[in-house]
Amino acid sequence: MVNGYPLLTILVFLPLAGALFLIPVWKRPEWLRRLALGAGVVELALAGWLTVRWQAFQQAPGAPAGFLLWEDLPWIEGFGIRYTVGMDGISLLMVILTAFITVIALAVSWRGIRERVALHYLLILVMESGIMGVFLSLDLILFYLFWEVMLVPMFLLIGIWGHGRRIYSAVKFFLYTMFGSLLMLLAIIGVYLVHGSETGSYTFALPALVNTRIAPDLAGWLFAAFLLAFAIKVPLFPLHTWLPDAHTDAPTAGSVLLAGLLLKTGAYGIIRFGYPLFPQAAASFAPLLTVLAVVGIIYGSWVAYAQTDMKRLVAYSSVGHMGFVALGIAAWTPVSLSGSVLQMVNHGVTTGALFALVGMLDERAETREIAAFGGLWGKIPLFSAFFLLFSMASAGLPGLNNFAGEFIILAGSFRVSPLAVVLAFIGIILPLVYTVRLVQQLLFVTERQPLALADISLREGGVLAVLALAAIYLGVHPAPVLDLLKVPVGLLTGTP
Amino acid sequence: MSITDIWSIMPLLLLAVGALSVLLLGAVMPGRFGTGIGVVTLLGASLWCILTPSQAGVPTLGVSLTPFARFFTVLFSLTAAVVLLLSRGYNARRAIRGEEYPATVLFAVFGMAVLSAAANFLPLFLGLEGLTFAFYFLVAIDRERPESGEAGLKYLLMGAVAAAFTAFGIALIYAGTGSLDVPSVMGALSQSGKVNPLLLAGLGFLLAGIAFKISLVPAHLWTPDVYQGAPAPVVAFLSTASKGAAVAFLLLLLPAAGVVEPLRIPLWGLSLLSMVVGNLAALLQRNLKRMLAYSAIAQMGYVTLALLSGKGGGYGAAAFYLVAYTAMNLAAFGAVASLTEEVEPGEVEDYRGLGYTRPFQGGVLALAMFALAGIPPTAGFVGKFFIFAAALRGGEIALAVIGILTAVVSVYYYLRVVVNLYMRADTGNVTASGTLPEMVALICAAAVILFLGIYPGPLLELIGMFAR
Repeated sequence: MVNGYPLLTILVFLPLAGALFLIPVWKRPEWLRRLALGAGVVELALAGWLTVRWQAFQQAPGAPAGFLLWEDLPWIEGFGIRYTVGMDGISLLMVILTAFITVIALAVSWRGIRERVALHYLLILVMESGIMGVFLSLDLILFYLFWEVMLVPMFLLIGIWGHGRRIYSAVKFFLYTMFGSLLMLLAIIGVYLVHGSETGSYTFALPALVNTRIAPDLAGWLFAAFLLAFAIKVPLFPLHTWLPDAHTDAPTAGSVLLAGLLLKTGAYGIIRFGYPLFPQAAASFAPLLTVLAVVGIIYGSWVAYAQTDMKRLVAYSSVGHMGFVALGIAAWTPVSLSGSVLQMVNHGVTTGALFALVGMLDERAETREIAAFGGLWGKIPLFSAFFLLFSMASAGLPGLNNFAGEFIILAGSFRVSPLAVVLAFIGIILPLVYTVRLVQQLLFVTERQPLALADISLREGGVLAVLALAAIYLGVHPAPVLDLLKVPVGLLTGTP
Repeated sequence: MSITDIWSIMPLLLLAVGALSVLLLGAVMPGRFGTGIGVVTLLGASLWCILTPSQAGVPTLGVSLTPFARFFTVLFSLTAAVVLLLSRGYNARRAIRGEEYPATVLFAVFGMAVLSAAANFLPLFLGLEGLTFAFYFLVAIDRERPESGEAGLKYLLMGAVAAAFTAFGIALIYAGTGSLDVPSVMGALSQSGKVNPLLLAGLGFLLAGIAFKISLVPAHLWTPDVYQGAPAPVVAFLSTASKGAAVAFLLLLLPAAGVVEPLRIPLWGLSLLSMVVGNLAALLQRNLKRMLAYSAIAQMGYVTLALLSGKGGGYGAAAFYLVAYTAMNLAAFGAVASLTEEVEPGEVEDYRGLGYTRPFQGGVLALAMFALAGIPPTAGFVGKFFIFAAALRGGEIALAVIGILTAVVSVYYYLRVVVNLYMRADTGNVTASGTLPEMVALICAAAVILFLGIYPGPLLELIGMFAR
């Protein structure tokens, strides 16, 4: 609470309220677009205001250390379930990323979505509420609720406005995620019962459950269930197979949200819930996590090289990039963990931008085959310039955002697992191979088919310019972000 | 029998008198007031149960309106009221005429109310068979369509066998213990020493009979056929209230026994088979009502899991899930009923694109599917959560894990309905647009699904008054 205003609750439910306001004007696409974008921008402004004011907030009374904002209400008293939302530096970063990427997603679907416009924008806003809830919940059941709530809009987005085998991909995405989540639900109940029988107070509050002593065997099983749910979302190799399908068949806004935000919820879940709840079990799983992360980094990049569909290529590159995030989490040092969170933001910006760019090309040429294009540099120079910039950022060019994140992760993980870092270093080089090839094929070789393409419009240019600014800023000057992370990461790794 | 006695069983009398007057009025002024009087009677009975203070007293004629009885009488009455609202338009479109329909619905609720108020095996049996008797009529009430009659015959044959099992079980219990009083019979189970074999055999037969009513595997074979053939509002009633009454039967017996051990193995097997067979068979169905029949079998498997986990708080979880399940199935079958005209949209494929052409019914049907699949924030999620929490606390870990895995399977067939509603192009086959009472009924069901999903606290407290 700040001055008596439940800011976090407003942050969570404002998009939902915006979605409800769309219903009365559901027949007027122009209004819908503006209203939805307006709701997204207000949310972003609120998140931005929180970021600016962040240093001025004091530790909230009654909140665990590091949480400057904190709201706590009874919800289902018979079961010790509370409505608890709290914000520390990590949540703040994720919230601002969510608000930012949602605005981008609303803006990129301006022209592409012509049918069922109201439902499309409504679902995006509902999903934003769900994602905000995931990043702010500190009660396990509340977290689970938001975790599932954000699934349904994404399922519908892919299934209704998607391309190709959209229904297959949507159902596959949903089933994969449900499988992990339901087992996690059992594990959540397990932690609750162990803590309850140990202390006599039955609660789902994360700060209380963190101190539970669980028998090592049981803790291993429970952590495995949590890790499975989160690893499917990240996605970690070999649980990634839903991702290329979902990404490829999703509409542009869906891909942007999926890559920019939904994947982050998995990594965030491991950081916020998985490790703190089961520190010993997590330590014993760390080697496995490291191996899977490194395999993911190399495999993702390798398979990306073989893709002929641009969207699939970007999707596989995501598997590689998220592998870095997982590597940093597995090492669990202050530096590597900060790098992972930073990389989550970076990946959201770059991959979101790349999906937006591919979507723009798809809208114009109605194909995403790399082989259909060529010589774009001469025809649509502005588009090409942005494409080059974000491709280089994705490939880890120094001075742009991904480089900063990957470098910090590798630096932080080296002491813990040097061999993994050496192998992951190959994973920095491989993206360069497929990116250079992509850029060359798309922008520079001679035109293969005569395609009449218009350069980007003012709206598209605005979206890309904002993303580009973010990419450059995070690459050149990531210090403010790392400052935000210092306290919470210190508390998580036990080195304040 | 004094005035106090009459007052103390007022809702039962109200239901019986209401049913009779609907029938009589039908002879004088046919086709006018049946539904109206029925709904008013049901709401009146519910209001009596909610408003009058419950006092502990000696059972009158073997029945007493305990908090438990009041809770279930209200649940069944409101369910029946929603069913009557759903039936009016449906019956008009399908040319099902006559006052016997609302009157039979009221008789069924009377049977359910007697059952939930019973303190003795005799009224328990009479209530159970009374309500089943009403359903024999209701299932076969559509005389124009042979499938309705076929369903009625199947239900009658299976139901008669089940009734025989139940009656024989009660006879054995009486032979074994010399009593028909529920607390003393069930109390004999928890006494130390050797359990009376006649009592055990009797309970076994009783459980077999009940398993037919709840349609637990392997006593489920009648369910898909009957659900497919019977009129949709009747199926809405059959799949919710009649199953609810049978579960209430078990909820009267099991807590009174104190221990569930002698019945644990059969209940365990029934729960496991229902969850696995129900969910797997539902995957193969193309007809929506058949699919929902198998889904109901699986859902009852989860309820049985809760009944097994009494010492972990499972009885409360079962009662909560019954309410949630009632709302979900009313919404699902209600949507089907309001989309049915001369021809019923039977296949799941017939619902293509209805999310757009019939946004209201499509939306309610989709909500019901997400709720049955256990996605928050719906009653289905909260109910499943309570069941699995009770199961883990009660030590039924293996069954809980199997239950969760089969729940993942179930998501697939529930999603298939949503896929057809929203992701495929309309066929233009469905022309019904729904009447006002149907809309009201669907809004009520949807509101309960969402309310219980977001704020289950009050209902949980209410259930806490009679079940832990």
